[in-house]
Amino acid sequence: MSAERTVTVVPEDGLHARPAAAFVEAANEHDAEVEVGAADGDLVAAGSMIAVTSLGVASGDDVRLVAEGDDAEAALDALTDILTTPEDELDA
Amino acid sequence: MSTERRVLPGTGATPRAGVGTVVWYDPGTELPDPPEGGVDAAAERERFADARETAEAELERERERTAESVGEEEAAVFDAHVQFINDPTIADAVEDAINDGLPAPNAVHGAFAEHIEQFEGMDGRMAERADDLRDVRDRLVRILTDGDRVDLAALPEGSVVLAERLTPSDTAQLDPERVAGFATVTGGRTSHAAIFARSLALPAVVGVGDALFDVPDDAEVMVDGDAGELVVAPTDEERAAASETDAAEVRPDPVSTADGKGIEVAANVGQPAEVEPAVQRGADGIGLYRTEFLFLDRESPPDEDEQFETVVEALDAFPDGRVVVRTLDVGGDKQVPYLDLPEEENPFLGERGIRRSLGPDADLFETQLRALLRAAAAGDGDLAVMFPLVATVEELEAALDRVDEVAADLAAEGVDHALPELGVMIETPSAAFVADELAARVDFLSIGTNDLAQYVMAAARENDRVADLHDPFHPGVVRAIRRTVEAGHEGDAWVGMCGEMAGDPEATELLVGLGLDELSMSAVTIPDVKANVEATDTDAAADLAADAGAAGTRTKVLERIHRS
Repeated sequence: MSAERTVTVVPEDGLHARPAAAFVEAANEHDAEVEVGAADGDLVAAGSMIAVTSLGVASGDDVRLVAEGDDAEAALDALTDILTTPEDELDA
Repeated sequence: MSTERRVLPGTGATPRAGVGTVVWYDPGTELPDPPEGGVDAAAERERFADARETAEAELERERERTAESVGEEEAAVFDAHVQFINDPTIADAVEDAINDGLPAPNAVHGAFAEHIEQFEGMDGRMAERADDLRDVRDRLVRILTDGDRVDLAALPEGSVVLAERLTPSDTAQLDPERVAGFATVTGGRTSHAAIFARSLALPAVVGVGDALFDVPDDAEVMVDGDAGELVVAPTDEERAAASETDAAEVRPDPVSTADGKGIEVAANVGQPAEVEPAVQRGADGIGLYRTEFLFLDRESPPDEDEQFETVVEALDAFPDGRVVVRTLDVGGDKQVPYLDLPEEENPFLGERGIRRSLGPDADLFETQLRALLRAAAAGDGDLAVMFPLVATVEELEAALDRVDEVAADLAAEGVDHALPELGVMIETPSAAFVADELAARVDFLSIGTNDLAQYVMAAARENDRVADLHDPFHPGVVRAIRRTVEAGHEGDAWVGMCGEMAGDPEATELLVGLGLDELSMSAVTIPDVKANVEATDTDAAADLAADAGAAGTRTKVLERIHRS
């Protein structure tokens, strides 16, 4: 099963620090292989903190998520949630 | 051993000074040479797995400690570190290197190298990731080599820590009760170490450069975060002055000058979490409550009730004080996703502050005013509301009309409300020039020296190339302040200041002399400024201000300040 969607990033810091950490953790919690990248750019492994932060994603940017695997939809739901939650509302 | 007095310039992180004995900090990450005969790959892989677990446990403890002592936001860096430790790219590279015959510590070192270099070449935020990766790498290498390092959490009282660099993990362990300060070879005002130092009110000088390496262990030094200097073998006078700064006690009550003129000392607050620390540091009230936090970092604007509750909370925290709330000030360098701010060639000279509230954000402005007028009736303290970036009398009159309209609406709806004190932020040269006209229409003026200096000097705040020009001690800025205060008082308005200058203890006497009624600053310097106010004589301060106002150069202004 595969799924794909494009999400606008909300946290003020973009995909850095806490939002990035939460994002990578969630990606690794799912069985699906998830890749992430700029809407019109190359995709990298969503489970790698180095790869994810090196994208340099800022608040307001659109990112593309592609998931491959049994729980692809669930993985994308969880990741979309993190990308659209303001940083101060992320669970500590 | 007697060491000669020397002054090493750097960048001050905190406007405080501390004296103590040098403890050199070595992160303990010396790499051993790989053994000649190769390694037992299975054993090395296991050592690496164990090291990751140990590192994660350490990070968890440091995260908790930091969340408690510094704040949740700063603690978040450790979440990122856990994810870096578990990065599959790193794990793969380490495994490959071990299979090629390298011992685990060397494999770890090599696995990070390329990524550190990659991030180092980028700017801003991305360069910070290089620091994070270095921090994580050093932690793993130290664990793998059983490296010794000074236990930063258990230093003798009165220690001054010197280091090439301090990582967030290192800095988080420093106990401000025991450590007198720190100085580092690398780093700038916005480095992790500097930000931590400010949060902990710890004296610190960063970016001293290689000269720091010449300061020996056990030397007596003064960390002067105010002047941005490390003084080796300070004189007795300097020691006394430094310990006096440190001794500035929290004064919970309002203070007066030596000859009895009351000066309100208030806190600048950027979010609700900063209200309680402001109370603890003895703030008389809030002199600048920035409301942007309510609007940033979310998908839609906050509703009236949410804004109302936030303001009432602040008013209740200062039952006998005043809370000055600034209406929404976006534009310039502050972006808000859902507001669709225009891309402008000169955003700082564009549609920002009151210009947006009277234009495209009129609805937000109305909602905010409704919340504020309701809060004025509901909260314990006195509410004051000020408008940012006013440049003309017409803008002020339009804003005041909006307040009247909102008050009339609330009255018609039978909603409990009250009119707060109203004021203008003086940030544009035009506002300073027409301060008399503005003061005639409001209760108070508050000088925002950061933007005022930027606009008076035509030097962008964030541009390092013109950083020297961005200084409120230039005569052009000093005279704009003097003019504003005089015009304000002629119009029967009280005049405050809420820029960085207000919290600079070195400026207190000058500002009292210029006639400021209120000074508002980051909570950390409130005790120092209150102590300075009590030590100031208004006549001497007025002489100082007259001389500074007549001085032709920044150097002369500073010379005069240092003479008194």
